[in-house]
Amino acid sequence: MEKVIDVQSLRKDFKSHSSRSGLKGAFRDLFTRNYKVISAVKDISFTVNEGEMVGYIGENGAGKSTSIKMLTGILTPTSGTVRVNGMDPHKEREKFVSSIGVVFGQRSQLWWDIAVQESFRLLKKVYNVPDDVYNDHMNHVIESLDIGPLLDKPVRKLSLGQRMRCELAAALLHNPKLLFLDEPTIGLDVLVKLKIRNFLKEINEKYKTTILLTTHDLTDIEALCERVVMLDEGQIIYDGKLAKLRSNWGEGKQIEFQFGEQVNLENLQPLLTELQAEWTKGDRDNVWIANVVNEEHVISEVIGRVVAANRITDIKIHEISTEEIIRNIYEEGMLNG
Amino acid sequence: MKHATIFFLYVSQYMKTRLTYRVDMLMEIMSDLLFQAVNLIFILVVFGHTDMLSGWSKDEIIFIYGFFLVPFAIFGAFFNIWDFNERYIVKGEMDRILTRPVHSLFQIILERMELESLFGVITGIAVMVYAGNRLDLNVSWYDPIVFLFMVLGGAFVYAGIFILLASISFWSDSRTSIMPMMYNIGNYGRYPVDIYNKVIRFVLTWILPFAFVGVYPSAYFLGREEWYGYAFLTPVMGVAFFGFAIFMWNIGVTKYRGAGN
Repeated sequence: MEKVIDVQSLRKDFKSHSSRSGLKGAFRDLFTRNYKVISAVKDISFTVNEGEMVGYIGENGAGKSTSIKMLTGILTPTSGTVRVNGMDPHKEREKFVSSIGVVFGQRSQLWWDIAVQESFRLLKKVYNVPDDVYNDHMNHVIESLDIGPLLDKPVRKLSLGQRMRCELAAALLHNPKLLFLDEPTIGLDVLVKLKIRNFLKEINEKYKTTILLTTHDLTDIEALCERVVMLDEGQIIYDGKLAKLRSNWGEGKQIEFQFGEQVNLENLQPLLTELQAEWTKGDRDNVWIANVVNEEHVISEVIGRVVAANRITDIKIHEISTEEIIRNIYEEGMLNG
Repeated sequence: MKHATIFFLYVSQYMKTRLTYRVDMLMEIMSDLLFQAVNLIFILVVFGHTDMLSGWSKDEIIFIYGFFLVPFAIFGAFFNIWDFNERYIVKGEMDRILTRPVHSLFQIILERMELESLFGVITGIAVMVYAGNRLDLNVSWYDPIVFLFMVLGGAFVYAGIFILLASISFWSDSRTSIMPMMYNIGNYGRYPVDIYNKVIRFVLTWILPFAFVGVYPSAYFLGREEWYGYAFLTPVMGVAFFGFAIFMWNIGVTKYRGAGN
C-alpha cells in the first residue's frame, strides 16, 4: 500500500525567552535574555497508508497542533523528515498544498462577507480546478452535505453547523487525496455531527481519501477511526487499533450503586476484600462506583455482597468508555499494553 | 496568467462587497480627500511666510506633493499591510494563508487591498496639472511613459519598506509601534531633500528611500537637471527594494512560529 504520510524522527523546538521577575529583572532582560528551548514535538515517527482514517489525539499542549502544522507545511521542522503525498511539505509548499485539504474548526477558510458560492469560486481559481471536474465533484459534495440552500448566503449569516459543512465542502473542492481535520465537530449538535461523520465515511470509501482527524470528541474517533495515534508531551505513546486500546485498557466494568442511606468508604471497603475491585465516589450523594474486572463471578459477587449489606435504590453497570480509558492512560502516564 | 485571473476575481469580489456598504466607502474617500486637502493647506501656510524653500518655489513643492500622491495611492490600495502582525501573526490567520497554493504575500495583498485609495491618483494628477500649468512645464510625448515608470518605482519603494517591516513579525511576535512612525517618515519624502541635514538626506535616499517616492522623480518633470541622476534611479531603487523585501519575506515565512492554540 502507498504511504501517504511518512514521518521520521520529526522534531520541533521553540525558543522562548523567559522574563525575569521585577523591574530589575526587566532591565536585565533588555541586555541579556534567558532563552529556554521547549520541544513541542520530540522525535516522532509514524506512517499513514492510503485510505486510512486516523484519529490523532492528545491533551492540549501534547504537540498535536504543532505536528499537524508541520505536516501541512505551515511550520518548518527543527529536524527529522516529513514526506506527505511524496513531497516535502515545507520546501514545495505551493505545489504540496494543492494535494491536501485542511479544515481548522476554529478558523474559517471562507470569506466572511461574501456568499458561500463566491468563496467557492475564488477557491476554485486558487486551486486551479477545471470546470468539468469541479461541477462533477462539487455537485455531489454539495448534495451530500446538504448545503445547496446555503450557497447564496454570506458566511457571516450562517449558523456554526451550516458554516462547518460549508468549510468541509471548501476543503474538498479540489478533491484532495489527504484531508486534515482539526476539531471539525467542535460545538456542533448531534445531527450535524452525524451528517459530517457519514459524509467523511462516504468520501473515504468513494475516493479513498486519507483522513487525519484531531479532536477532543472521542465519539468522532470511535465512529470514524480504526486507528489512533496518541500523543503526550510531544511523544507518541500509542499507535495502533482503537479496538486494541479498548481491550487492553477497558477490561473492566463499573457498577454504580445508588444507596438508600448515608454510607462511607469504611463501611464499603470490607465488602470488596479478596476481590479485584475498588471503590470510587460517584458524582452525586450516596452514589458509589465499584470498578471491577470483567469477570462474571466477580461482578455477581460484588453485587451480591453490596446488596446483602445495604439498602440500594438503583444499580447500573457501565462499560468503561474510551474517554475514561484515555484519561486513565494520561493519568498513569505510560502504556503497558 | 493564473495570478492575473485570481487578481481580477478578488477585485470584482471586493467591488461587490464594497458596493453593499456604500456609505462606508463614501466616508473613506471623503476622509482621504480631507487628509490631502490638509496637507495642501500646510504647504500654503508655510509659503505664506516665505517665497522660496532652499531654492524651490511654492508651485514646485505643490507639484512634488501632487506627484507623491500617485505612487502613495497605489501603495495604499495594495501594499498597505500595516496591520499584518496583529491580523495574521497574532490571530494566526497566516496558518490559513499557508495552506493555499498561491504565494503568501500575494494572497495577503489581495485580502488587504483597499481600492478606494486609488482615488488619490486622480487628486494627485489634478494637483500636478494645476501646479504644472502655473510653472509652464512642457510635456514631451515620452513623459507619460517616464511618469509610469517613476510612479511604479515609487510605489515599489514604499511597498518594499512596508513589506520589510511586516516581515519583522516573523522573527519577533511582539507588537511594534514602528508602523505609525513610518507613515511620518514617509511624509518627509514629499519635500525637497536639500532642506534637511545631511544625515536625514542620506537616510531618505538609501536607508528608508522615501525621497524616491516624491522629490527625486518629480525633479525630472520639473526640469531640475542637477537631480536627474537620482530621478532615473527611481525605478531601479523600486525594483531593488521590492525584490529585497520579497526575499526577506520568503525567509521570514520559514521562521513563522504559528499562533498558540
